[in-house]
Amino acid sequence: MSLYQLQKLIYHVNRDAEQREHYRQNAVAFSRKYDLTEQESAAILNVDVRALYTMGVHSLLLRPFTLLNKVSNEDYAKALKGLV
Amino acid sequence: MAIVFACAASHAPGMTAWTEAAPKEQSEKFLGSYRELGQRLAAAQPDAIVALTVEHWANFFLNSMPTFCIGRADHYDGPIEEWLRIPKARVPGDAELSAQLIDACLDSGFDPLFSDELLFDHATYLPLHFLNPNMALPVVPVIINTLTPPMPTAKRCFAFGEFLGQQLQRSDKRVALIATGGLSHWPGEAQHGRINVPFDKKFLDNLVTGDHRQLTAYSHDEINREAGSGGHEIRTWIALAGAVQHWKAQVIAYEPVVPWATGCGLVAFNP
Repeated sequence: MSLYQLQKLIYHVNRDAEQREHYRQNAVAFSRKYDLTEQESAAILNVDVRALYTMGVHSLLLRPFTLLNKVSNEDYAKALKGLV
Repeated sequence: MAIVFACAASHAPGMTAWTEAAPKEQSEKFLGSYRELGQRLAAAQPDAIVALTVEHWANFFLNSMPTFCIGRADHYDGPIEEWLRIPKARVPGDAELSAQLIDACLDSGFDPLFSDELLFDHATYLPLHFLNPNMALPVVPVIINTLTPPMPTAKRCFAFGEFLGQQLQRSDKRVALIATGGLSHWPGEAQHGRINVPFDKKFLDNLVTGDHRQLTAYSHDEINREAGSGGHEIRTWIALAGAVQHWKAQVIAYEPVVPWATGCGLVAFNP
């Protein structure tokens, strides 16, 4: 687990326009700059809302990140269904 | 001179970003009360606003997360959210008042971070939009970490507020003191949309009755469970209650606005 690195990647994408552009151009290359496990990389690259949430990504990092990736309110809620 | 006005207010982004999603009656009532509170603030003729506020990953990340931070800038830009439907503008600061507060803190056993550059997200900018029209008055932001644990205890927030209140009462400026955040909400969480009305009402009641024992007894776990991750922001209200602890709190509005996913409160404190 490297939750710190995972959240750092998301924070950079959310808050830094230049880094966000790098992420958009090549998410795979961008994610390699962070010390992520295989599961974490997969969750980022697939924008797997449920996996990222379960891994402990802060909801106020996750929701803006998923909004940038055009995840609707409905799909976001659906992905978290059944979790507390 | 002294504290001439005090209020606490919620800052749900839906208030401006998706106003019309809320039932018209509810949004008009709440936002009308917000504007009235702004008129009351203006009528008190303050020289500056001190905002007990929070932030949402606007300035700080987990590499450096201050428990308390006092802004000391000449100005603050915001809001950072493009979608808030509030025009971007530069909010004047009051670096002199900031420096006085920081010095007083360090002389008295409080050791806040200070920052000469802070951005405002909706937490600070949205209340100012209603309470400081045209961003006419200079602002001193006092950020409390309510974003990510560990957070300061309710007791410590009350004590910090009490200390700031004492300093501001001695200030040569007329100060409007505002607190922003809460009430119950679960932003971006699995329980997003939940509002715990009984918790919100109990908390408001604690303020109105001046129950400082209960206000300082709220634990992190209780707030987390009953008011959600967003509910931690009530620490700013608790700090305000400490700052003007001899003033009487008056609930101006409370609306659990489901489309805004927040228990929305406005409380004025009167001497």
